[in-house]
Amino acid sequence: MLSPRRSVTPTTRRSCVSSETDVSGRSETDFEHLQATPEFARLRRALRRFVFPMTVAFLAWYLLYVLLTAYARDFVSTKVFGSVNVGFLLGWGQFVTTFGIAILYSRYADRKLDPQAEQIREEAGEHR
Amino acid sequence: MNSGLGASVPSAVAVGLVVLATVLIGAYGQRLSRTTGDFLVASRMVGPTWNAAAISGEYLSAASFLGVAALIVQFGADALWYPIGFTAGYLALLLFVAAPLRRSGAYTVPDFAQIRWGSLRLRRLATVVVLVIVWLYLVPQLHGAGLLLQYLVGVPRWVGVVGVALVVTASVVAGGMRSITFVQAFQYWLKLSAVAVPVVVMIALLRGDAFSALDTPWAAPGLGFGGGAALPEVYSVVIATFLGTMGLPHVLVRFYTNSGGGAARRTTVQVITLLVVFYFCTVLLGLISRSAGADPAGGDLVILGVPARALDGSAATAGTVLAAMIAAGAVAAFLSASSGLLVAAAGVISTDVLPGRVRDFRVAAVLGVLVPVAVALGAGGTDIVRVVGMAFGLAASTFCPLLVLGIWWRGVTVAGAAAGMLCGGGLALGAVTAGIVLGDRAGRWSWLLEQPAVISVPVAFAVMIGVSLATRRTVRPEVDAVLARLHLPGTLHHR
Repeated sequence: MLSPRRSVTPTTRRSCVSSETDVSGRSETDFEHLQATPEFARLRRALRRFVFPMTVAFLAWYLLYVLLTAYARDFVSTKVFGSVNVGFLLGWGQFVTTFGIAILYSRYADRKLDPQAEQIREEAGEHR
Repeated sequence: MNSGLGASVPSAVAVGLVVLATVLIGAYGQRLSRTTGDFLVASRMVGPTWNAAAISGEYLSAASFLGVAALIVQFGADALWYPIGFTAGYLALLLFVAAPLRRSGAYTVPDFAQIRWGSLRLRRLATVVVLVIVWLYLVPQLHGAGLLLQYLVGVPRWVGVVGVALVVTASVVAGGMRSITFVQAFQYWLKLSAVAVPVVVMIALLRGDAFSALDTPWAAPGLGFGGGAALPEVYSVVIATFLGTMGLPHVLVRFYTNSGGGAARRTTVQVITLLVVFYFCTVLLGLISRSAGADPAGGDLVILGVPARALDGSAATAGTVLAAMIAAGAVAAFLSASSGLLVAAAGVISTDVLPGRVRDFRVAAVLGVLVPVAVALGAGGTDIVRVVGMAFGLAASTFCPLLVLGIWWRGVTVAGAAAGMLCGGGLALGAVTAGIVLGDRAGRWSWLLEQPAVISVPVAFAVMIGVSLATRRTVRPEVDAVLARLHLPGTLHHR
C-alpha cells in the first residue's frame, strides 16, 4: 500500500505545518552552532536539574507507597479519622504530589527555562 | 452481570440524548472544518482550557469510567493503583516529552520518527505500532459498548458494537479533529457530572452508610490483586500506565493541537487537575457501591445497578434517575475514547498510506474502524481495564523509549530505535498472545502475561541503547540541529 514514489514530506502534509516549525537542514537559525554554545548547555542543565531529581523523588515516593502497603499492612491500616486509614491517605497523597510537581514544573519552565531559551534564540537571530 | 437491574426506560432515554448531543455538537463543529489542518490538528487553534477538557474527555474511556469503580468494588484500596498510574502518566508526559515534542513540529509519532531520524523505514514501523495500539484500545471500547447497550436496552451485543462504530465514524468523517475537540470537551464535563452527581446524592441520602465498606478488612491496602503475585503485578501496572500514557497515539495527537510548547505544558497541568477531580469521584463511587453491597465479581457494569440497590423505597425515583446518569456517562465514555482513537488512526493512515488530503482522512477513518469492529464482534467476555492495560503496556514498550531517548539523547540510531521498538513491542504482544493461548494453564505467571511491562519496558530501553551504541557511527550530523530545535521555544514571536 505504501507508494515508494511519495516524497519524504508531501506538500499536502506540509500545508498545515508552518514554515517556522520546519526542522530540516534549511531552517532559518544555525542550530548546529547553537547546540555547541555554552548558553544552550546551560539551558539543558537547567532543564535536567529540575526534571531528573523530580522524577527520582516521585518514583521513590511511589515505591514507598507500594512497599508500605505490601509489607506494613498494620501501619497502613491504622485509622486516622472515621473509617479513613493511612493507606488511603497515602494513596491520595500520590495524586496530590502528581499535581504539585506538575504545577512546580510549569512555573519553573515559565520563569526559568523559557526566558533563557528565548534569549538564546534572539542572540542567534542577531548573529545571522 | 446481565441482571437487568439497570434496564430501564430512563437509562435508554439518557443514552439516546448523549448520542444526539454528540451528533449535534459534531455537526456544529463540522461547519468550521475545511482544511487538512482542521481535520488533523484542529488548525492548532485550540486553547489550553478546551484542549485539556478534550484530552481528558477522550482519555477517560470506559476503563476509567466504569472500570476503575468496578476495580475498587473488587479489590478495595489496592485498585487505587490504576487511577494513580493513569494520572501520573501525564506527569511523565509533561516532564519528558510535552513541550519538546510539540516544538518538533511533528503531529504524529511517525512524523516525529522521520524528523528526528530522517528514516522512512523507521517512520513506517512507527505507523504500524500506532495502528496496533489504537486497535488494541478500540476493541475493548466497542466490545464494552455492545455489552452496555445489551444490558441497558436488551439489544443483541453486535447492535451496540456496530451502532457506536457508526456514530463515531460519522462524526470523525464529518468534522475531523476540530469538531471532535468540541465533542470530547463536552463529554468530559458530562462524564464528570455523571459520576459526581450520583456520588453527592447518594452520600446525602445514605449518610454514614455510604462508606461502611471502609470499615471492613477489604479496604486495607495490600490485600488485593490476588495475594502472592500482588507486588510484581503492581509494579507492572505502575510502569505500564506511568510510561504508557506518553506513547498513546490519541493522547499525543491532541498535544499537537496546542499552539506551542508553553501551551502544551499548561494543557498538561490542567489535564492532571481534571483527572484528579474525576478519579476522586470515581473512587468514591466504587466505595459507595461496595458499601451498598455491589457484587465484587460483577464485572465492569456492576456500577450501573448500584443506585437502584442503594436507594429503594421512598428514594427509588432518585435511584432510577442516578442510574440513567451513570448510563449516559458510560456511553459518553465509549464515544469520546473511540472517536479520539479513530482520529489518531485516521491521521496516520491518511498521511502515511494515502496522499493526506481531506478526502483521504475520511477514507482512512472508515478503514481504521473496520478492523476493531471485526475483532470486537468476535471477542468473548473481556475486562475493559485489563485489555486497555495491554494497550498501555505496548505503548510503554515501544513509543516511550523512542520518545524519551529520541528527545534526550543524541546517540539513538535508526537501527537502535527500530530494534528497541521491535523487541519491546514483540515481548508485550507475545506475552498477551501467550496469555490468551495458554489461558488458565499459565497459572502463577498469568499476571506477567497480562501485564508484561515490568519486563518488556526495561528490555526495550536496553536494546535501544545497546544497539545504538553498537551502531554509533550512523548518528547523523543533523541531529544537533534537530535537538536544539526541540529544546528551544518554537517561535520567537508567538506569544
